[in-house]
Amino acid sequence: MGNNRQIIQYRRRFLQSAGLGLLGLAGMSGKIRAAAMQTLPFGNGERELVVYPQKRSLLRITTRPPHLETPFEVFDESVLTPNDGFFVRYHLADLPLSIDPDRYRLTVSGHVDTPLSLSLNALKEMGRVEMVAVNQCAGNSRGYSSPRVFGAQLGNGSMGNARWAGIPLRSVLEKAGIKSGARLVAMNGLDRPVLPVTPDYVKTLEIEHAMSDEPLIAWEMNGQEIPFLNGYPLKLIVPGYFGTYWIKHLCEIHVLDQPLDGLDSFAMNRAYRVPDNECFCVLPGTVPDRTRPITRFRVRSFITSLQNGSRVKAGQKILLKGIAFDGGSGIKQVEISSDGGQNWKMVSLSRDFGRFSFREWRLDFVPENQGEIMLMVRATANSGETQPMTASWNPGGYLRNVVESVAITVA
Amino acid sequence: MQYLIYSLAALILCFSSSPGMAAPKYISLPPETAKLKKSGHPGYQVALQKCTICHSADYISLQPPGMSLRQWTDEVSKMKHAFGAPISDDEVSLIGEYLALTYGNEKIGIPVFPAHVEKTGAPGARVVDASALLTQNGCFGCHAVDRKVVGPAFRDVAERYRKNPQAIETVMKNIKAGGSGKWGSIPMPSFAALSNSDIKALAVFVLEQ
Repeated sequence: MGNNRQIIQYRRRFLQSAGLGLLGLAGMSGKIRAAAMQTLPFGNGERELVVYPQKRSLLRITTRPPHLETPFEVFDESVLTPNDGFFVRYHLADLPLSIDPDRYRLTVSGHVDTPLSLSLNALKEMGRVEMVAVNQCAGNSRGYSSPRVFGAQLGNGSMGNARWAGIPLRSVLEKAGIKSGARLVAMNGLDRPVLPVTPDYVKTLEIEHAMSDEPLIAWEMNGQEIPFLNGYPLKLIVPGYFGTYWIKHLCEIHVLDQPLDGLDSFAMNRAYRVPDNECFCVLPGTVPDRTRPITRFRVRSFITSLQNGSRVKAGQKILLKGIAFDGGSGIKQVEISSDGGQNWKMVSLSRDFGRFSFREWRLDFVPENQGEIMLMVRATANSGETQPMTASWNPGGYLRNVVESVAITVA
Repeated sequence: MQYLIYSLAALILCFSSSPGMAAPKYISLPPETAKLKKSGHPGYQVALQKCTICHSADYISLQPPGMSLRQWTDEVSKMKHAFGAPISDDEVSLIGEYLALTYGNEKIGIPVFPAHVEKTGAPGARVVDASALLTQNGCFGCHAVDRKVVGPAFRDVAERYRKNPQAIETVMKNIKAGGSGKWGSIPMPSFAALSNSDIKALAVFVLEQ
């Protein structure tokens, strides 16, 4: 317990000096009041815009543990989501508020030849790779579930796309030496539950996945240190997988030769699970017979340049713009319908940042007749997966990927 | 539980190396302002004390409108069984009723002030035994006598106020109001619903450690 205390002492020291404006990082004090609200288009969807350290105004979902959603207009700014606009989501309220990069250690333990304790410098000396990848909260868009379900009531903004830099998880595992019989790699971060009886937040990857070239241990996000609330100084990047696997403040990697069990298996064995069938869905309001852990994204696409209620002029050309992504095969095509889904027109895809990135798309569009029109966007992935016209349902409110619609007025 | 031990071991390794040279990075989070909706239902007082141990009140006010008594009660039950919330089965029912009446679609049909309120330590309960009070109010969820859990060890609290002539009044005020910053960043819920005699019994117990 002595070491836990050390962390607590840091926190206390901070509280004593906070009033002196110790650090630019601390930045925003409680004096900055919420400037505005946004209303998400479902019942009880009013959200306060709030400023947190290193963040611009984001939609407050919850205060403790903090959960902040990106206002959707941010996705129209650039294909890489700015760090200060990137969503924030913690599961456990005892999150670190101070971290000493010199004392930070990433440990590798369990079913390995040589347990490791690596400093940040030691990790950075092992190499550097970059990858652009989307992070999407498992509950992104949960507020649109019909019938509604409990949980964080998210709009479509709990996602973001960034250029991550770090080293492959595999490099660290190879350095430790995986013993034969290894099955899973468990990951843990510095955030902890308030009560000792509450499960810690631990996620596992299959050993084959962990040893592939996909997962990264990142220390850089869009060319800068990872923002504190996004997991400074180390974040696990699991491209194509939901954010539930992207452990923040990563400090422990534990190789297992047996399934994860016990209290801390909660986030794998009891939560973040979807119906174990082809559609990951059940009849609304019913309980699935069998479930399995949520893993990869399904293909999605959005219009970012117009919102519900936007007004455009008849006969005048506008640039329609948006994004598409999937679980890692890459985007093959995106289509737009302006007649509620009867006819579809192919759009052009912009620069390819890799198969795990948002893919920007554009279309010069001339609305012809005056009145209300329904724009729809549908993406197809290289895997052949495409978006359904109607939403399916599951009890967790996960995996929404229905074709999105935007109702605009042509005047 | 086995994994928990691994986790603690990892924390030791994460933080026990030689002193660093660069300054640690700190953040401070905006103050917590969300509050539970007031209600005359006895579940409100229990919710004030128990729910906000682990999460802010906006985790509740955020939820979809129109959820039923059954749905809210199941959700509170999940807090007890999946997350280890220190609440009794009776308190699960009480909190579920309060939430369904206040945030959900339950309008009538729940007898207000049901008989089981007497067992909870909510207003009207006449309990003076400090150890019973500690258990009923979930104090041991966050505190222990001789070591820090989430909140300070009772012994550390006693030590801090040893020479303070206003010790009892100060500790009573802190129990009643809750708050954060004196011992750490995780806020202690307000226990304003307890009677003065119960709060005094708790303060005396803490200061005797």
